[in-house]
Amino acid sequence: MEQKKILEIPYGTRDFLPTEAAEKRVIETKLARLFSGWGYDEVVTPTIEYLETLDRGSSHNLEPHLYKLVSKDNRMMALRHEMTTPIARLMGSRLQGRALPLRCSYISSVFRYEQSQTGRQCEFYQAGVELMGSGSAAADAEVITLAVRSLLSAGLTEFKLCLGQVEFLSGVMEQYQLAESECEALKEAMEKHNLVLFEQLVDGLNVNDAAKKALKYLPLLNGGPEMLARAREMALNARSRRALDNLTEIYHLLETYQVADYVQFDLGIIRDFSYYTGMVFEAYAPELGFPVCGGGRYDNLLADFGNPCPATGFALGIERVLLALKRRGGGLPETPKDVYVGYGQGNLEQAVAKALELRQAGKVVELAAAPGTESEAEGAQEAGGYKELLFLP
Amino acid sequence: MLASNKEYLTIALPKGKLFSLSAELLKKIGYTAEGLSDKSRKLVISNEEKKIRFIITKTADVPTYVEYGAADLGVIGKDVLVESGKDVYELLDLGFGKCHVMMAVPRKEKRERLTDYAQTRVATKFPHIAEQFFTRHGMQMEYIKLNGSIELGPIVGLSESIVDIVETGTTLKENDLEEIAYIMDATARLIANRVSFKLKFERINTLVEELKKVMAAGEAGK
Repeated sequence: MEQKKILEIPYGTRDFLPTEAAEKRVIETKLARLFSGWGYDEVVTPTIEYLETLDRGSSHNLEPHLYKLVSKDNRMMALRHEMTTPIARLMGSRLQGRALPLRCSYISSVFRYEQSQTGRQCEFYQAGVELMGSGSAAADAEVITLAVRSLLSAGLTEFKLCLGQVEFLSGVMEQYQLAESECEALKEAMEKHNLVLFEQLVDGLNVNDAAKKALKYLPLLNGGPEMLARAREMALNARSRRALDNLTEIYHLLETYQVADYVQFDLGIIRDFSYYTGMVFEAYAPELGFPVCGGGRYDNLLADFGNPCPATGFALGIERVLLALKRRGGGLPETPKDVYVGYGQGNLEQAVAKALELRQAGKVVELAAAPGTESEAEGAQEAGGYKELLFLP
Repeated sequence: MLASNKEYLTIALPKGKLFSLSAELLKKIGYTAEGLSDKSRKLVISNEEKKIRFIITKTADVPTYVEYGAADLGVIGKDVLVESGKDVYELLDLGFGKCHVMMAVPRKEKRERLTDYAQTRVATKFPHIAEQFFTRHGMQMEYIKLNGSIELGPIVGLSESIVDIVETGTTLKENDLEEIAYIMDATARLIANRVSFKLKFERINTLVEELKKVMAAGEAGK
């Protein structure tokens, strides 16, 4: 027997079939409502940008992860790899001059070449917000709270959000007068989660033993508010103390927002993108081996796009949230289907009128595509998962 | 995936050379379970009292189990870890299983400079490590991935050289091969899942501290 050839889809992409797409849409709708309820206006930007836009101010080593293509006039373009950079471009162009602070949200697909695995596809969906034009701890606390609220509204309950401050690390390294290349090497080891290499690098530094001990402690500064007190003993210069003051102030506001129970500190946290300048965070759900959401403050990025102003934001992975809900079991929302309308020969007009009436009353209604018998209609009702049957013989 | 194991700490151990050394070291700090052996037919062995679960896997799969969070922790050679390219925490150099990755060629056909081997074929179990090494030297090579007995490659004319791990060098000598370039040192590492390291931080960090203590005591006793 000849086997029919099934057409493939590109590596790292996926289809959402009816139930899956419905689950995704339910989460997106909840998030969209949440974001607009906090005064964030949605923006939509093109899927493709010029490469120089995405490259600007963005992280080292980005290029191998971009999907690139060439425009008709031979300019390099790439699919957006995240939404912060396109929104920064907007701020430097068409949103320039708007009253600040400006609150934007988005729900869109982004593209990155990755070693593809469950919950980590090359094309994936992100929902997030950017709060631009405010450098205050209040802005950071608002964004963090919104991240927690997003995960809660999506249905997750057991996650932890780990909060750090990139200035703390920089301050500690400055205090021991490390060379820039040494700081970079240490940060890279931390970003790659290689604590063995980190300790080796520290051992090779020209600093005293107390300093080495303190530096080795950096990736382990993980815990509740009591941990900040311990960190304070290490923070000997103004820069790292300011970072801790900033975290203390943010945490105090998170208590006011009643989300502090979901938050713990992780001063060794380093995010993939190099544009972060202040607080940074990642959230982890016990169902997943990788973060469900992340974000932070990026006060220099917008200057690279010609509109210098402080900004903060976060993004969450919609597929990752869906996967965590699925693994937890029973959490995914169902979409109700109400009435299947079937009809006998010659009764189409009456059936159309009935279906119209029911739909206007807010019911989810499917109308048979052709006349049939009552038992055929029953079969179709069952197959489609409709609660009721209306048959016009 | 992690959820069902929330109370448990799941540790992936590789079959083979590293197994007994890892199990022994962990036992010293009280992390063990009845019937823990790589000869065991059971692939998951639990210690209900201490809430520890061991899974025994093929060596090359340990980083995969840990990256996905099916195991919180794992023990794996640095060579296999680098080759896998997995995003996991590398917490501790356990010191044992010491070997190094190198390039070797048939003694009789040794060329003068490393770069004289550019554009030739290299047989290896570690194509990523090999490629990183040769790229650093500006050399393009043809990589032939083999799963074992790498030394056979040059003997039967499959390749001009090999990139492989060496402990004592006996196998090289027996096959008339000579090491011409050192690539990297490798010892066993303790690795952790990214999320487990955050969500089970206290437990994992305590384990790391205890391991450091018994390792230091072992060093002092030598």
